[in-house]
Amino acid sequence: MKRLSFVLSILVALSMLLAACAPAATEAPVATDAPAATDAPAATDAPAATDAPAAELEGTLNVWSFTNEIKTMAIAFQGRHPKVKVVYTMIPMTNGEYQTKVKAAAGTADSPDVVALEAAFVKEWVESDLLADLNDLVPLTETLQTYPAVVEVGTYEGVTKGFSYQATPGAFFYRRSIAKECLGTDDLAEVQAMVADMDKFVETAAKIKECGTGDYYTVGTGGEMFLPFLSNRSEPWIVDGSLVIDPKIVEYVHFAKMMRDNGYESGATQWTEGWFAGMNDTLKDANGTPKKVFSYFLPTWGLPYVLSPNSTPKDSTVGTGGDWAMINGPLSYQWGGTWVGALDGSPNSELAKEFVKFVALDEENLTNWATGVYTNEYLKAIDPTTPDDQAQAAGDFVSSQVVVEKITSSFDDSTLATFLGGENSYGAFAAAAPSVNGALLTGSDDAIQRALNDPLAAYLSGTMTEAEMWAAWLDAVRNEFPDLIIPDAPVQ
Amino acid sequence: MNLAKLKKNSTGYLFLAPFIIGFLIFGLYPVINTLTLSFTDATLMSKSSHFVGIANFKRLFADEVFMRAVGNTWLIWILNFIPQIGIALLLSVLFTSARLKIKAVGVWRAIYFLPNLLMPAAVAALFNALFAYYGPVNQFMVRADLLSEAMRFLESITVTRGLVVFIQWWTWFGQTMIILMAGMTSIPLPLYEAAMVDGASVWQMFTRITLPLLKPILIFIFVTSLVGGMQMFDIPFLLTDGRGSPLSSIQTNNILMYMKFASSKGHIGAASSVGVLIFFMTSICALGIFYFLRDKDMDDKKPAKKSLFKKNTVRPQS
Repeated sequence: MKRLSFVLSILVALSMLLAACAPAATEAPVATDAPAATDAPAATDAPAATDAPAAELEGTLNVWSFTNEIKTMAIAFQGRHPKVKVVYTMIPMTNGEYQTKVKAAAGTADSPDVVALEAAFVKEWVESDLLADLNDLVPLTETLQTYPAVVEVGTYEGVTKGFSYQATPGAFFYRRSIAKECLGTDDLAEVQAMVADMDKFVETAAKIKECGTGDYYTVGTGGEMFLPFLSNRSEPWIVDGSLVIDPKIVEYVHFAKMMRDNGYESGATQWTEGWFAGMNDTLKDANGTPKKVFSYFLPTWGLPYVLSPNSTPKDSTVGTGGDWAMINGPLSYQWGGTWVGALDGSPNSELAKEFVKFVALDEENLTNWATGVYTNEYLKAIDPTTPDDQAQAAGDFVSSQVVVEKITSSFDDSTLATFLGGENSYGAFAAAAPSVNGALLTGSDDAIQRALNDPLAAYLSGTMTEAEMWAAWLDAVRNEFPDLIIPDAPVQ
Repeated sequence: MNLAKLKKNSTGYLFLAPFIIGFLIFGLYPVINTLTLSFTDATLMSKSSHFVGIANFKRLFADEVFMRAVGNTWLIWILNFIPQIGIALLLSVLFTSARLKIKAVGVWRAIYFLPNLLMPAAVAALFNALFAYYGPVNQFMVRADLLSEAMRFLESITVTRGLVVFIQWWTWFGQTMIILMAGMTSIPLPLYEAAMVDGASVWQMFTRITLPLLKPILIFIFVTSLVGGMQMFDIPFLLTDGRGSPLSSIQTNNILMYMKFASSKGHIGAASSVGVLIFFMTSICALGIFYFLRDKDMDDKKPAKKSLFKKNTVRPQS
């Protein structure tokens, strides 16, 4: 009897758990449907409805992304097509949460119509059979002279499934004040000559350490340099079903170790508090000694989204703005970028295609996007419910060469130029963009690269030998890719 | 006649129905579906899948990754469960003691239970920030001369595992204590009074009265904690990089399963095989606990209530 009542009590507990879970799972769709019905009339009195399109589009479009960037485009899209309602869902990319959620939703009733795909996993999607064929839109890339690498990344076996509004060549940002103090000049060409290749870069790093008596670091973290090395491989991660450990990867690992052991990097983890602190001169070690970081490896989007917003400390108005300069650095590379694709079998496929076209292949939209037309007031006039911080500042580097050429001169006196001490970053990126190579990306990059972080951190801090590090990484890769042929470790 | 009988019983079935239906849909179906998936190469990114026999299971044992995850899970659970049950027992004995009569038991109970109300995600994020290289713990320890230089806490296996164990213990001992207290207050007071009259010590009362009568509650705590421990996910997942770093030392069963599920193509077949093995492991262990801690008196079919103090003849106090 006692045992029976015990079993019963477990069952009751279980059923309560289930009862608690069940409604939560079903609530979501209801919530998204409700505003669609009520907000539709509000969108019709938007001001931007002047350029009436040939056929009036209408319907509700579900868009998923991992930042709020594309939300700006979504609101602008509603401005152009007043009868369209875009339901925007943002899921952060931390620890791969976004990637997992989209994968799980694709092909189900909750599937979005349009998804944003980051460079690290866009190929996974382009190589799968989940995205719709958007070959119809390819001719537009010729009119707009979209950078070839951008189209190449969105294409698999001759079918283009994703387009991007950005091109993302990388750059090297440094502090003018430290350059003057330690290197004797802050001139762009002279500093570029001092970091022209990896050997010279290391010499300069030693100089900076000596000049700052250990309180100056050349970079925030060695992890920043992963992308530059990665972009200079000769082969992608996977060739003919086999993992390729390019010599550049081995070189990177040794380089990161050297940077750590010599104290050329601050030891902060990328994207954490300490790494950002270096951008606004508030980095302090555990003793409270202030530390300075000389440079950051960041791509096009890193300037308006990462470096510039973090250059002023939270509790102060005086930051490092104006003290930065931008050059190519030791290696040319590309880093990140957001592609958009439409899901195959979406009931709104025409609308979804129109949205992709608007986001990535519309000259007017790309120009507005890059030149700061999408202010908060502009967006609020279209959709009064727009959050107060939703806006697109000028400066994102767009994928169309036609647009880039038209707008470059408009950045001569922009806020970003002031931030860079008068340098027009747009022009510098325009020079670097055509040389970007899109062929190195594969669908498995994200998983392979994320698996390296943990063993590498252990190797850098000395808790693992190099041989153990390679073995641990290869084990992790093997576990994520059941069918991949794994070569021997470079060091055993 | 049978119809009448059925009618008579139908109210009972009616009451049972909601649970049974819920269980079939949300309990049994997922289990069977997981089992089926574990024999396929299904992924989220392709529309078709093939039967691959036990290939998924073979791969799990091909390297040490899976066994290491199982080991991590057990280690972290045991290290957290022993102090959890120990301290919960101690506190609940103190709080229910007829001798001590501690005041404001309700307040204490609430305080100890509070950590359980915190969101695991928030707790993990908090500890991650506290123990970062440029974080406050390092700042404090170095300036207080407890450390000579800043330490990479979250790259140390001992510290990271210790943090997971501590967080699990800290958030759950209050809950365990409340269940134990409920069990202890249901033990009839006259038993203790009689024991006190007979001169039994606190320890004797604990081992001879409290523990035996608490056994069903203890089994309940043991099994629920084991099931929860084998499914440990949120704290270790969020404390570091979501892959059980450093050196996979806090990579639990469920993190490994999630990693396979979330990997490039979303290998749900391979992930299911991990789920199936966790399911069998947990079931066998839970059944084992029931078997070893079963009421042996009931097997003898002799109620032996009288023998409560059988072996321990009460001696005069010295």
